[in-house]
Amino acid sequence: MSRLRTVAGLLGHFLHRQRFFLAPLLLVLLAAAVLLVLTGGLSYVAPFVYAIF
Amino acid sequence: MSAVLGISGGYHDAAAALVVDGVVVAALQEERLSRVKNDPSPPLRAARACLSIGGIAAPDRVVFYENPYARIERVLVSLLRGFPRTFRQFPRAIGAQLGSKLWILDDLAEGLGVPRAKVTFVAHHEAHAASAFYASPYPRAAVLTVDGVGEEAATAIWHGTEQGLREVAHVDYPCSLGLLYAAFTAYLGFAVNEGEYKVMGLAAWGSPRRREELAKVVQLSSDGGYELDLSYFAFHTDTELGFSSKLEALLGPRRPAERPWDLETAEDRAYADVAASLQALLEDALLGLARTARKRTEEECLCLAGGVALNAVANARIAREAGFSRVFVQPAAGDAGGALGAAILGAMKDGAPRPAPMRDAALGVAVDAGEANMLASALGFAVKRVDDRDAEVAGRLSRGEVIAFVDGRCEFGPRALGQRSILADPRAAATRERINRAVKRREPFRPFAPSALAGTELRWYDEPGDDMTRFMTTVRRAKDTTLGAVTHVDGTARLHTVDPESRFGALLSAVERESGIPVVLNTSLNGAGEPICATAADAVAFFAAHAVDALVVEDVVVTRRPS
Ligand SMILES: [Fe+2]
Repeated sequence: MSRLRTVAGLLGHFLHRQRFFLAPLLLVLLAAAVLLVLTGGLSYVAPFVYAIF
Repeated sequence: MSAVLGISGGYHDAAAALVVDGVVVAALQEERLSRVKNDPSPPLRAARACLSIGGIAAPDRVVFYENPYARIERVLVSLLRGFPRTFRQFPRAIGAQLGSKLWILDDLAEGLGVPRAKVTFVAHHEAHAASAFYASPYPRAAVLTVDGVGEEAATAIWHGTEQGLREVAHVDYPCSLGLLYAAFTAYLGFAVNEGEYKVMGLAAWGSPRRREELAKVVQLSSDGGYELDLSYFAFHTDTELGFSSKLEALLGPRRPAERPWDLETAEDRAYADVAASLQALLEDALLGLARTARKRTEEECLCLAGGVALNAVANARIAREAGFSRVFVQPAAGDAGGALGAAILGAMKDGAPRPAPMRDAALGVAVDAGEANMLASALGFAVKRVDDRDAEVAGRLSRGEVIAFVDGRCEFGPRALGQRSILADPRAAATRERINRAVKRREPFRPFAPSALAGTELRWYDEPGDDMTRFMTTVRRAKDTTLGAVTHVDGTARLHTVDPESRFGALLSAVERESGIPVVLNTSLNGAGEPICATAADAVAFFAAHAVDALVVEDVVVTRRPS
C-alpha cells in the first residue's frame, strides 16, 4: 500500500507546521478521502474552483 | 546518467519536461496530445512522449511542481478563516483535495511505473522561478514570480546566483494579482484561465479613465507592495464568481458572456475602459514589485515567470521602466513552465550542472511529414513533395495565400514560434479579417503577431529586439502602418524576432527575396477553442476543417484539388 507514504507525508507536514488544531479535522477528512478514492472521487467544473483548490 | 522528469498539473495546463545530465531534452503540454485545451489532468501522455524523445525507459526521479500537502493546508486554513461564508464550498473543496489532488504523487508513480519513493516535489513558486532563471542567459538575476496561487504564495521575489535561488520576499493568497486579473476576466464575460489574453487585447481599445476607482480595489504602497480589498472579490468565499456585488456597484453591472462584442457601442467601449484601467493597475503593481526586486538584489537582469508574466504589454513596461538592463520571460510562464522548473531543480539537486540558456521553444514532439503525406492523400487532397520548401512557401505568401505551416518539433508554451503556425503576408489589414473568418473566429480586438528576421526589426519598430522578442513575450511600437495585419489598434505589436541561423529564419530570408520584407504574420495553428496542433494528423485534420490555402509539413505541400 504505497499510498501510506502520502498519508505519512501529509501528517508529517501538519505536525511540522504545528497545525495541531487541524489534526482531528484531518483525521475525519482522511476517512472521507478513503471513501472518495474508493468511489472514484468527485468531479466538477467551476472557474475559481479550478484556480484555487 | 541521470534523467529527471518534471511534472506540472492538477489545476491549469499540465505539462512534462525531461532533463538528462543537465540538458533540457524535451518539454510538452498535455493538451497538445490529449487535444483538450488547457488539460489539467496528470500529464501521462506528455511524460511518456518526453521519455520517448529522450530514449529513456524509466526516469531516475520524478519531480512534481508543488507541495500537495502545503496546498491542502492552505485550502483548509482559508476555508476555516472564511467560515461560515465558505460553508457551501467546503464539501467540494475537500472532495477535490482529498479525492484526487492529494494522491497526485501516487498517481504519477503508478501511471509512469516508477517507485513511489522516487516521486518528490518542489515548491510551486520555486519551480516558476527556476523555469525563468535557469532558462535565461543570465549568470545572476533578480527573479519575480507572479501567478494566481500555488501552495500559499501568489507573488515572490527571488535572487538567482551561482549558488542557486534564494527567496527574498513573498505575498500570500488571497492577495493575488493573478486572481485579481481572473476576477476581472470573469466580470468582462470571458472564461477564467482562458480569457485573460482577451482582456489584454481589449485594453488597447479603451482608456484607463477608471484607474482612480480601481485604486480602491487594490492599494499600492510606496515600498512596492500591493493589497487587495477583499470586499470587492469573492474567489475566497464563492467559487462560481470571482468578484462581489460591491465591484459591480463600483464599476457597473458585469458584461453578459454571450453577447457578441461591438466596440462601436458606448456600452462595450465602457467595458474596454475597465480593461484598460485594470491593465494600468496591473502594470503599476508589477512595476512596484520589479523595482523592489531591483533594490533588494541589486542585480542588472530580471527574470519573470508565473501566469501573470504572460502579459506581454506589462512585460514591455517593466523592461522600460523598472531599471533593469535586460529582462527574460520564461515562454511557458504559466503552470506548464513549472514542469520545466521542477525538472531542472531536481536535476541540479542530483548534481547536474545548470542547463544551457533556452534558445528556442521547439522542445515537443516532432512532426512526421510522411504521415502527413499519407493522410492527406488518403483524404483526397493534392499532395506534392518540394525540393525548396522555403521558396514554395514564400511564393505562396506573396500571392496572398494563408498557409498552415508545420516544421520540426512543436513549441513549449502558449505561443506559436514558427513550428506550428498559420502564416500570411503581414501588410494588408484585410488578411486579418480573412484569417479571423476562416480560422479563428475571434473577437475583433485580438491582434496577430509579426515574425521578423532578427536585425531588421528597426525598419518597422521603435526599439530593437531583446531576450523577450525571441519568444514573443513583449511588445514593440510600430513606426507606421505598413504592417497593417499585425499592428494592434494602439499601434503595438507582439513582435517575434527570429534567429537568421534557424530554420524559420531561413524561411524569412526566402520571404524577403520574394516580397522585399523578411516578415510574416504568424498566429498559432489551431481552430477556435482548440489546443495548438502537434502531430501530422492534427495538422491534416486542421487543413480539412479550415479554409486555409495550403498546408506545408516540412517538404510536403498539401492543397485542395480544384472542384
Ligand atoms: Fe503558477
